[in-house]
Amino acid sequence: MAVWNQFPMKWVVLMSNTISIPAEDLNYTSGKLPVHSDPNPEAKPLPKVTIDGKAYEFKPGDTIMQVAERYKLHEDIPRYCYHPGMPIAGTCRMCTVEVEKAPKLMTSCSTPAGDGMVVHTRSEKVLKSRNGVMDFLLTNHPLDCPVCDKAGECELQDYTFEYGPQESNFKEEKRVYSTATTKKLSDKITLNMNRCVHCERCVRFTDDVTKTNDLVMVNRGWHKELTVTDEKVGLVNDYQGCLTDFCPVGALTMNDFRFEKRVWFLDKKPSVCDGCSKGCNIEVHHDKEVVQRYVPIFNEKVNNHWMCDEGRLSYHTYADANRIVSPLLPDTVSGRLSSTNWETAANIVNARVKNASKILVVVGTDATNEEAMLIKGHFAARAEVKHHSGFGENKALDHLLRQSDKTPNTKGVAAIGLAAMQASDVTGKDLVVVIRQGRAQMPKVEGQDVILVGVYSREEIDALKASNVRIQAVLPSLATIEKEGSFTNCDGITQSFNATVAHRGKALALPKILAALVGEKH
Amino acid sequence: MATKNISRPYTIAQKLYVFYIIKGMLINLRRFFSGLILQRNWTIQYPEERRDYSQRFRGAHFISVDKNKTENCTACFLCETVCPAECIHIVAEERDDDKNPDGVWKEKKPLSFDIDLLRCCFCGFCEEACPKDAIKLSRDYEMSVSNRDDAIFDLAHLKREINGRG
Repeated sequence: MAVWNQFPMKWVVLMSNTISIPAEDLNYTSGKLPVHSDPNPEAKPLPKVTIDGKAYEFKPGDTIMQVAERYKLHEDIPRYCYHPGMPIAGTCRMCTVEVEKAPKLMTSCSTPAGDGMVVHTRSEKVLKSRNGVMDFLLTNHPLDCPVCDKAGECELQDYTFEYGPQESNFKEEKRVYSTATTKKLSDKITLNMNRCVHCERCVRFTDDVTKTNDLVMVNRGWHKELTVTDEKVGLVNDYQGCLTDFCPVGALTMNDFRFEKRVWFLDKKPSVCDGCSKGCNIEVHHDKEVVQRYVPIFNEKVNNHWMCDEGRLSYHTYADANRIVSPLLPDTVSGRLSSTNWETAANIVNARVKNASKILVVVGTDATNEEAMLIKGHFAARAEVKHHSGFGENKALDHLLRQSDKTPNTKGVAAIGLAAMQASDVTGKDLVVVIRQGRAQMPKVEGQDVILVGVYSREEIDALKASNVRIQAVLPSLATIEKEGSFTNCDGITQSFNATVAHRGKALALPKILAALVGEKH
Repeated sequence: MATKNISRPYTIAQKLYVFYIIKGMLINLRRFFSGLILQRNWTIQYPEERRDYSQRFRGAHFISVDKNKTENCTACFLCETVCPAECIHIVAEERDDDKNPDGVWKEKKPLSFDIDLLRCCFCGFCEEACPKDAIKLSRDYEMSVSNRDDAIFDLAHLKREINGRG
């Protein structure tokens, strides 16, 4: 208890940039805020546009859609091709609005707002136009919602309910793409071309965001089809999961999530990805505490709308059947590790720590700031405390998000005052305590007595035993999504997060394990 | 709470006993003759004789199959979503391409489809929610089982041949 008082969590919370729960869909979140004129009477006032009878100030250069986004009116304007994170195309004609004195309906995504413009987003003419667009989009849509994984979060479904015709005027046979009905574009993405509404968000994403130019639309009109640019190379970019996030229909689906769960069963909680030092903001989607997928949350300062595939699939580490979730102690005779209860384990490790004179504590850089401080508080007086990531100096792997350091908190742990571990630190120690709860690599501890604390898999333990490490105990602790804390990312932004799913094994939170190690009543 | 004793003394006719015996025997005699001579029976010889239930009677579930004996279910989970008793449990998977002549319409299939009859309240919501007319309730009312495990219908059992409702 004394340690908590010594290092109050308050300062971490004060400086942190707490993730707020997103109020809306990622495809709608732009991060644009309302603008206000300079109150100084001599300054030139900002131009105003009237939307649905109310005047709104905007920044010169905004399109009508962007003004609506500033004032959270965007739910009145449906869209397929427009996405706040991509360049404007203006192809889907769904976002048309009526502008007074304009001869025709205007696409709100590409029409710049003008001073004194009067816009109606729900006039009779507009609704009739949207109804017509929906009718055309649904002519060839297979309407296989029972099979489609997008059902429940599909924009085509939502807009059909809101604007669409009740019955189709199209009586002819629907178009079917024989070769692209279900086609694996890569090992991560499956394409179903029949569902596609040709918004080309995916093409613009690979052109302008990842700049890999993987996807392209071939042919025209009725036969327009999405394919990979080079069949020999295929779809190879590292942000393929994003394609499924913004695809408004179920044309692009993620193999990892495909047929796993219907989306309306999912509980959604915000968290921070611990896959690399970028710390992308994510939403953990789980059903009955079983994580089904990660989805990025918009954060302009960190990850924008995107997230890499490596981080997106990193939840498998914590759902692994081989993860150790109860404390293990070696048998006194055979040395085989077998599971035990926490009381026995606590007594044995406590005695082991007390008897050792030279202890090295290695903190993986995937510990949260709070945990690192707590470890320092517990062990600074009686042991050497070092941090270890195993990835070396961090550098960006591409122009977007991916980083070479695969641990989330290297900066934060270093800022608390722990030095990096050197290879020579291990020599001459009685006991090494390794605390590693994520993707930090194991330090080299061959031939040492080691207590392992954190998240380990059975394979890792076997590999350690094979490399002549004398494991004294394995004490499982909670993974990032199961605990609360804060990470400082590679740009120095501290982000705090709460627990998203409940742990289902016997692992304990790190403060309790540390108290057991040093023999404190907690 | 205090007990209140109320005495109901027998009348003389009751004490004599014989009048009430005769009254009871007359009821027996009346039923005996109406059944034997007028054939007005209210019970039936059950296993040999079946009662005719309404065409809308909701009995045991089944899953309809197409001509290839493939289930019509595409594991859309709508029945599981709508079920008020939470008795349906589905696990979905992708159907093998070579076993799927129907293409995208049957690309998804149930790996397992369990209905816990002990929880089911036979409301018929699943039948109403099903977009593929796959899950249906038959008019079969004989669902007695000798242990609890048998009361869970699995996919193989649900695909049995049975007539639907009229």
